[in-house]
Amino acid sequence: MSTWLISLWAAPAALGFALLFNAPPRALWAAAVLAVIGRLLRDVLMHTGIDITLGTLLAALAIGGLAELWARRVRLAAPVFAISAAIPMVPGVSMYEAVHALMKLSGLAAGQSAEPYLVDAGTGIVRAAMILLALTIGIAMPSLLMRKR
Amino acid sequence: MDVPQPQPLPDPARIAKLALDAAVLVHQSGGDTARTTATLDRTARALGARRVDAIVSSLSLGVTVSVDGRQETALRRAPHMGVNFRVLSGVNRAVNALEAGRVGANGFATLLDDLESYPHYYPAWLVAVFVGFACGAFAALFHGDLMAVAITSIGAALGMRVRQLLAMRHFKPFVFAPAAAFVATLVVGLLQGLTGTPQAALAASVLFLIPGVPLINGAADLLSGSYLNALVRLTMGAVFVVGLALGMSVALRIVV
Repeated sequence: MSTWLISLWAAPAALGFALLFNAPPRALWAAAVLAVIGRLLRDVLMHTGIDITLGTLLAALAIGGLAELWARRVRLAAPVFAISAAIPMVPGVSMYEAVHALMKLSGLAAGQSAEPYLVDAGTGIVRAAMILLALTIGIAMPSLLMRKR
Repeated sequence: MDVPQPQPLPDPARIAKLALDAAVLVHQSGGDTARTTATLDRTARALGARRVDAIVSSLSLGVTVSVDGRQETALRRAPHMGVNFRVLSGVNRAVNALEAGRVGANGFATLLDDLESYPHYYPAWLVAVFVGFACGAFAALFHGDLMAVAITSIGAALGMRVRQLLAMRHFKPFVFAPAAAFVATLVVGLLQGLTGTPQAALAASVLFLIPGVPLINGAADLLSGSYLNALVRLTMGAVFVVGLALGMSVALRIVV
């Protein structure tokens, strides 16, 4: 599958979580569309050479802002759209790599070099934490800036 | 439709009760601290309070309402419950209607009661199926092949079902997160021979446990200056992530 088509999978990913969060049925399609917009925006930004952390932050800001505008239009709470749409940008692979490396690290026999696993674990943890931080701040910021009062 | 008549002296005890009813629903169904505080404040003022002092902590809410020299203080326990965007939106609409004068105090109370009595749109099994498929979609987002999508959907749906059954019996996240992660990872690990991209499938299989709402609300609380509540939410998120890693690593030892 091409990189751009893969982004469409963000729609079912967001949909599942929207159901888990009991989002109203009329909000589902908008959450799915926002998720795809966010994912595509991040892909475009990364294509222009921006790294994944900044790309996630900008894409999350866009999702948060659009969610706030759309929520006012249809008179629903903004997190319904913003949080569901943010989920497909969760850095699952980095998190998995970190867990995997930590597990290997703990199972090392005496005398084996820990260095490759330490590097993998450290990289995975830092990358996942940075992306999660960018994602959560990006999603939370617009609603705080745009909220009435 | 009853004509909204401005009561000469609104009762502060009733104002405090209704404001807390609304705010507890928001707090428990996934609102951040700023939203809960705003709900308390807006509801009480719309009902005629002159001064509102609200306190929102992670497990309880309090408010002091003053009306023409009389005042009432009330506290309410508000333990965390599942995220529920229907309730969040419903309270939002009810408070807007109250402020605009479309409903009175009694109408507002009825709206809140309705929200409490029909909270779920989707049956649990349907949620498990769709959440499973969502994790399958994650496998595709992580550049997995179609078989990876299929086995991740199965594993994650089973894991989600375990989570629902345990959460229903009031087990804490640190019990159900490892159990659910273990089941999902085990199922995907046992079926990993079917796919050419087992890494993507394994990484995606536990993402139904990602504490998206506590993490995002924690960040929102940090940004809005509610540092203590932010720490509580981020700690909740960390408990989920550690539990998830625990269950996953035990299962990985068996299947990898």
